[in-house]
Amino acid sequence: MNLVEKILARASGRARVTPGEVVIADVDRILLHDLSCYLTAKVLEEEVRQPVRYPERVVVVFDHHFSPPTEEQARMLQANRAWAQRHGVHLFDCGSGNIHHVALHAGFIQPGTVVVGSDSHTPVHGTVGCFATGLGNYSHAALGLPFGKAWFRVPELVRIEVEGTTRPGVTARDVALFLTGQIGEGGMIYRALEFAGPYVEGLEVFDRWLFPLIAVDVGAKSGHVQPDERTLNFLAELTGHRPEAVRGDGDDVAEVLGWEVSGLEPQVACPPTVGNVHPVSEVAGVPIQWAELGGHGGGRLQDIRLAAQVLRGRHVHPGVRFNVVPSSRWVFTQALREGLVEELHRAGATWFPPSAGSNQAINMGALAEDEAMVSTHARNFPGRNGSGRMYLASALTVAASAVAGCLSDPREFVR
Amino acid sequence: MKAQVRGRCWVFGDNVPTDAIVRSHLITRPMDEIRRHVLEGLNPRFPREVQADDVVVAGRHFGQSSGRAIAVRALKATGVGCVVAESFARTFYRNAFEMGLPILECPGITGLVSEGDVLTVDLEEGSVVNETTGGRAQATPIPPFLRRMLEAGGIIPIARQLAEGVDR
Repeated sequence: MNLVEKILARASGRARVTPGEVVIADVDRILLHDLSCYLTAKVLEEEVRQPVRYPERVVVVFDHHFSPPTEEQARMLQANRAWAQRHGVHLFDCGSGNIHHVALHAGFIQPGTVVVGSDSHTPVHGTVGCFATGLGNYSHAALGLPFGKAWFRVPELVRIEVEGTTRPGVTARDVALFLTGQIGEGGMIYRALEFAGPYVEGLEVFDRWLFPLIAVDVGAKSGHVQPDERTLNFLAELTGHRPEAVRGDGDDVAEVLGWEVSGLEPQVACPPTVGNVHPVSEVAGVPIQWAELGGHGGGRLQDIRLAAQVLRGRHVHPGVRFNVVPSSRWVFTQALREGLVEELHRAGATWFPPSAGSNQAINMGALAEDEAMVSTHARNFPGRNGSGRMYLASALTVAASAVAGCLSDPREFVR
Repeated sequence: MKAQVRGRCWVFGDNVPTDAIVRSHLITRPMDEIRRHVLEGLNPRFPREVQADDVVVAGRHFGQSSGRAIAVRALKATGVGCVVAESFARTFYRNAFEMGLPILECPGITGLVSEGDVLTVDLEEGSVVNETTGGRAQATPIPPFLRRMLEAGGIIPIARQLAEGVDR
């Protein structure tokens, strides 16, 4: 069995599972954020009327609001707090960081487990070798919270093998954007993805993170990297506990796809969708008014370090607002220690509290219709952040564009 | 669950995100308000003119992006009888069955219909007949597990049975 089959077999108490069959599995972790907690709790209280069976498995993170901008939103957060307290679930309040980084950093994500969440980017946790996927509120309210279970159709697994060595100025994020464009939105519906090959295996864990992150946007149910020594050392360092890893057998895959990325140039996902990916040279020169490091794909310590490489000795363009949103308090602490907070501040960037950043412009980042933003966010659908246009790119490209005032090839800035 | 749905069709393209079904700034508003804005960014006439039992027809990967169930709830609240698409994003697909909105995956459907054609959709047989043109298509059969959910009106009524392994 492959990794997904092994995990789902164990979780559903079977010796074996095969693609296509439906299983009822135990879930080890349920992740809810501020918006979904509210909606899920409403279904649980009004329609299901059952207690939360395993509160210790449930993690709520307020990440779309680092601070509620309206009274209505303040009331929603208040209702969530009361609900979390009443049921005794874990709660990380405003300013903690974005849900996935917070959950991982707090040690709630372990290899070999089943992780479900309301956020559609929940598959990102497959980075450490678990089966992780996004489910709707009714899955959580009807089966997850009252019984600690979820139903799954066992997916076929597709292995994506990436090889090559990228050139300076080209990052893991560019490779992930490139793959999104190559596979296409909806190109992998219902399937699970295994990211493999020497390129992916050679990356540090938070760079591997960018690959399972794209699973949902190509339609896949989950994405993972097989856990190895690097994964286990990473988790041991993070949590002080070295977990056991489950690994899949190599041959149980429906399809193997491969890409060589040595010649790749920096990539940009252009409006209107995440799959509309172009080399930066095709879009360089497009004026931008906003730049942001943040979101599920950004605001990592790695992104902040990359931006600092570009901004060293330079200043943000007067026509651009460059916002930096650390993905967790841990990242902000590290950035403080490394002097990056002062460095970016002096270069003209604005620091925001740890959160999901301008995700859907819930607490920041709305765009007027003739404005454009380049960011490390995971999505760029029209209307998501107001009427403006959104471009997605690596931290290097975001920072280079913030300096130049237009979409720019970062290779001119880092040598 | 009705066995048959007959109504006018509204045609949408590929990769429609849940953000386009219900814009994110509306999600905490009352359903009576949300309902009046469903899919308006893609077709402003849709929320104003949609009638009970109309059929939404879409291309590939309908309901992509966020997995928020409110997209399904809002479509249901407009009264549409079912959604027929080339394919669905998996969270939308789950949500629809869990909330009792009939949907059919029907390869080739977008080539068979034009906006406003009258369709008869047989949910049991999975057949789609375009009464305006006489065209026909066959949808992928609904798996038994999901048919049971749909017949029960969603996941809530059968949750205990599923969790306790009764009749699995």
